[in-house]
Amino acid sequence: MKPLPPSDRCPVSRRRCPLAAEVRRLREECQRLLELSRTDPLTGLYNWRHLVSELDREMERTRRTGLPTGLIMFDLDHFKAVNDAYGHQVGDAVLRWVSRLVRENIRRLDIPCRYGGEEVVLILPGTSLPRALKLAERLRRKLSGAVLTLDGHSLQISASFGVEVYSPGEDLSALAFLERADRSLMEAKARGRNRIWHRDRHGLPDAVTPEERQYLLPRMKNYGTTEAPVAADASVSEQR
Amino acid sequence: MERPRRLWQPMRLCLSSGKGGVGKTSLAVNLAFALAGQGCRVLLVDGDLGLANVDVLLGLEVRLTLRELLAQDLDPRAALVYVAPGLAVLPAASGVAELVTLTPEDQVLLGRLLARLGRDFQVVLVDTAAGLGPAVLWFNTWAHHNLVVVTPDPTSLTDAYALIKVLSRAFGRKEFHLLVNQVSGEAEGERTFAALSQVASRFLEVKLDYLGSIPADPAVQQGVREQLPFVQAAPRAAASRAVASVAAQVLGSIGLWHSSPQEEAGS
Repeated sequence: MKPLPPSDRCPVSRRRCPLAAEVRRLREECQRLLELSRTDPLTGLYNWRHLVSELDREMERTRRTGLPTGLIMFDLDHFKAVNDAYGHQVGDAVLRWVSRLVRENIRRLDIPCRYGGEEVVLILPGTSLPRALKLAERLRRKLSGAVLTLDGHSLQISASFGVEVYSPGEDLSALAFLERADRSLMEAKARGRNRIWHRDRHGLPDAVTPEERQYLLPRMKNYGTTEAPVAADASVSEQR
Repeated sequence: MERPRRLWQPMRLCLSSGKGGVGKTSLAVNLAFALAGQGCRVLLVDGDLGLANVDVLLGLEVRLTLRELLAQDLDPRAALVYVAPGLAVLPAASGVAELVTLTPEDQVLLGRLLARLGRDFQVVLVDTAAGLGPAVLWFNTWAHHNLVVVTPDPTSLTDAYALIKVLSRAFGRKEFHLLVNQVSGEAEGERTFAALSQVASRFLEVKLDYLGSIPADPAVQQGVREQLPFVQAAPRAAASRAVASVAAQVLGSIGLWHSSPQEEAGS
């Protein structure tokens, strides 16, 4: 539903106008419903519907501007065991805690969404693969380093991450993009969890390697990475 | 079965070097003159969309540039400057930061623009900017043939190699035509080509083709200072003769009348 036109004041300036008050109430209700329709009640993250429409919009932005769109998908490791051992109340509390941690550690334009049970997707507008990997690594470290005390239980969690980037010129739908990230996430799980996976393992484009440089520039010299002490007799021989 | 006839398309050449200051623009201008001198209809495009130089090298008075053509709905032919029989220049603007990052929308526009202008020519030769910016990469993938200018300097060698690497790895370009500029003699040109081609064949899946070398020649410097193409001002100079033979090589080895394998693969 579209919000009402801007004015919620009484057009004839009647004091305590009941109609104007109703308009204000409806506007607030509209805003609340809009918020509800796109957020997940448990975690406060955006829901699946909002995820798909925002991802679609960001991919269109990539096609127009040429700036890539990043996507991080992560899943809490062995979350079922937490639910089984401590009950769903604790499980839900963990999810809320993780959601808050995510919201506190992403950038202003990033869009955090809940994608199914214990899976979270982050849309990263205008973000290249190295930046997306860096953010994923930051989240991974924060998650695996934390000890939660909930209901008297103290527990440690970790998550596995799949990272993907959409670049202009690629023919891909929002759903196919999500599926790619999902595959990387599965790979991260399969390789032992608490890690990040991406199709291009290093995430950095191939620079000219030292080996190639050696062939191109056979006269390359090898200096140390720390400053070498000045040879003691060098200045002496100068003086002579 | 008979294949559908393709619309007439000129041969698109793109001249790049990675590193700046290797004489790329001067070479592009003179190569264009040499090609036109051999009876080819040539459109020379200044592909340095941020810091244009072709107009300066030729002492052109420029009113309309590529920038205006992209921003306004104009007949693109109005921007062409005919500098010799069968040779037109499409100038770019100087001091424009916005076009250095050529967005996908700009790319589509530019592609259409060049296709429309190209119909009247047999060769479209683009002189690109230094570096690996989006515009440089776009022109290189747009072209049928990539010409890479390199000098014997180690800095030029590594930058040319980096350019070739990016174009092959990220954009699937498989063939590059090499031009060695500012050599002390033909042997140095061949040595430089051999060095680069050896590394390329070892680490990359590309084919390097040698178009020839251009000697370091005072006539080149003089041409730049006088804003005249040296192939016209000093046709007997060593550099002029070398450029003429490169032009012949371009027409011969690349084959003006042959459709290119990269184009087939790309479409």
